[in-house]
Amino acid sequence: MPTDTKRVRGPEVSQSPLLFVSKPATALPSHGPRTDGRPRDQVDVRPVFVRCGLVSQAKGSAYIEAGNTKLMSCVYGPRETERKDETDMKCGRLTTDMRFAPFSCPERGSWIQGSQDKDLSLMLHESLQPAVCLHKYPRSQIEVNVMVLENSGSVLAHAVTCASLALADAGIEMYDLVLGCAVRQDGSSYVVDPTYKEENSCSSASSENQGGLTVAFLPSLNQISGLQSDGEMTEETLTAGVRTCIEGCYKIYPVIQQALAKAVRRAAPPPSES
Amino acid sequence: MMEVCGSSNVSLREFGCEQSLLSRPDGSASFIQGDTSVLAGVYGPAEVKVSKEIYDRATLEVLVQPKVGLPSVRERSQEQCVRETCEASLLSSLHPRSSLTLILQVLHDDGSLLSCFLNAACMALMDAGLPMSCLFCGVTCAIHADGQIITDPTAAQEKESRALMTFAIDSTEHKVLMSSTKGSFSVHELQQCIAVSQKASEKIFQFYRDSVRRRYSKTL
Amino acid sequence: MAAGFKTAEPLEYHRSFLKENCRPDGRDLSEFRATTLNIGSISTADGSALVKVGNTTVICGIKAELANPTVEAPGKGYIVPNVDLPPLCSSRFRPGPPGEQAQAASQFIADVIESSELIHTEDLCIERGKLCWVLYCDIMCLDYDGNLLDACVIALLGALKNTQLPEVTINTETSGPEVNLEKRHGLQIHKHPVGASFCVFDDSILIVDPTAEEECLSTAQLTVVTDEEGRLCSVHKPGGTSLSAEKLQEFICRATARQKEIQKLIDKVIHSVKTAQ
Repeated sequence: MPTDTKRVRGPEVSQSPLLFVSKPATALPSHGPRTDGRPRDQVDVRPVFVRCGLVSQAKGSAYIEAGNTKLMSCVYGPRETERKDETDMKCGRLTTDMRFAPFSCPERGSWIQGSQDKDLSLMLHESLQPAVCLHKYPRSQIEVNVMVLENSGSVLAHAVTCASLALADAGIEMYDLVLGCAVRQDGSSYVVDPTYKEENSCSSASSENQGGLTVAFLPSLNQISGLQSDGEMTEETLTAGVRTCIEGCYKIYPVIQQALAKAVRRAAPPPSES
Repeated sequence: MMEVCGSSNVSLREFGCEQSLLSRPDGSASFIQGDTSVLAGVYGPAEVKVSKEIYDRATLEVLVQPKVGLPSVRERSQEQCVRETCEASLLSSLHPRSSLTLILQVLHDDGSLLSCFLNAACMALMDAGLPMSCLFCGVTCAIHADGQIITDPTAAQEKESRALMTFAIDSTEHKVLMSSTKGSFSVHELQQCIAVSQKASEKIFQFYRDSVRRRYSKTL
Repeated sequence: MAAGFKTAEPLEYHRSFLKENCRPDGRDLSEFRATTLNIGSISTADGSALVKVGNTTVICGIKAELANPTVEAPGKGYIVPNVDLPPLCSSRFRPGPPGEQAQAASQFIADVIESSELIHTEDLCIERGKLCWVLYCDIMCLDYDGNLLDACVIALLGALKNTQLPEVTINTETSGPEVNLEKRHGLQIHKHPVGASFCVFDDSILIVDPTAEEECLSTAQLTVVTDEEGRLCSVHKPGGTSLSAEKLQEFICRATARQKEIQKLIDKVIHSVKTAQ
């Protein structure tokens, strides 16, 4: 294993104390209300807290908190593109970088970007790109950075929402906001906006219809820009899941709109009436 | 080319220095303090990468190579200290949009390494003929457990000490250019160490002068 | 007009303020920016703190893991501090491995931990020669507006004070560790080192707590770290223009005053967190 010479090094191996817990963790109930009190099989997303324009150095930034999931996004640009190939001349380039802070998950992550981070960055890119008017920014690039401070489930969905809010805060021209929502199917029942524990546990015995689904949705155009699903689900469950996600997106839409309106009002206060 | 720097109050180990010992770099020097030995090479002024170009002065890069293995975070912090000290004394605005590279190779570490880096860097910059506003030298002081101040400690003395400080002193006003410390100490001890370092610096500058004089007396 | 002047001649712009003994953001030369501290906001970390010094925002999360102690020091644990400057916090940082500034900051924090002895690594030992704690102190900058080192030290101290380690016992039969997550205990913090950073303008004017812009234009930077007994843990000046011993004395006085202010702030926040629980 190559050693990382650019960071202060610790011991070669260390193990998370979670591996040595004497009492095994209690399995999550497969029916009845969820651990955070939300009902099952209903479109009940966690209340979100959003704020724009927190980072002084960035063109636009946003922070989102849903339950214990905490994310932050910054947008830099448009600035001159670094890569100068043919395609960049006609329309702008959107780059996304999504990272997890080492302390964001129950088990400590590495500083080095893993394949999971890269996958998520790519999915974020694909969900956002259709919403941004890139043809208005020829020869330039727009950088979106997302940092997960605490991972308590549905990270990609909230990252999409947060990044689109940061893009809007940066004044980048867009067709629409992009909202994200996730669903976890567990046998015949499903949970909306799952927590980290719900995402990583499988409580029902049946192996059918186990999976997760994340949808990125443009609310005013009523279009889907990103869809990511894993696990095994029947066609009907999947379409029902997509519909549930869209419903979930509409639930957080007014909160996002309000946060954006507040940020705009602060940036350009309406003329006083005197 | 060895000479002894010994005195009653400020004692330094035996110093040695040789300039222009490498043929490829534009300036080079080896500096020996007791058993600690560093080899320095300077390249430049040369063309600079566009991304690193500074429009009104030269870009200085310092690379520290440890005796074994790859440079780590500690070397990076030493690089930063040496670079910013050199930047303060070099008249880099005379070479805008060019690059200067200083490479410091550790040959043997027996304490006071950072001060040896600084001394080797100064001699190498001098050898490269780069314009400087002043010379600088490095002095390491160790505070022993009983409060005694030791200048230019060996590795064993460093280990026993409860605090370690390295200063870069300039040649014109004998003020502190750089300071890097380890361990905890009182304000009074800091002031004492600075005073001792300033005294020691006079000796080192005298050594610089002697060694350069000797070198040119041979070539002329 | 003012904005144009600032962009075209940033140094002159700052000088015109300094001539009047104030700074573009309205501060005195020896005034720190408003400092806020939020402790324990990350529940996935064993200890965490978020610090804001003006616009500069730094978050520190501590994760404790189990490891074997080294053969040379069988009775000691590890503390592994790392500072990261992600591209998120400012446009000057590029993605990829940490740059020189981040690495130098990591080394600085490691030196402060070692010099100040704020935690005795002996306290982290669970069983001599067999098992000990590793404290990974990951410090991340979220908004870079100068004075990174001060913010990092405060974040580290806040997070360490907040850290709760689970109880570990060695099972006599299997001789493997057993962790009880319900029973947790805090760390013993022996010292409270706090940093104060300064900038030198035009070789003579001293300002405290520089912003990113002031850092770029200054000719020298200096960070002094002191603990509650007034002892110095670090006098870090990586170069730049020279300073006389008298000037240094002035800095140290300001740094000791700052240490008292910050320690009061940390105690207040810790107290409010405890009463809220």
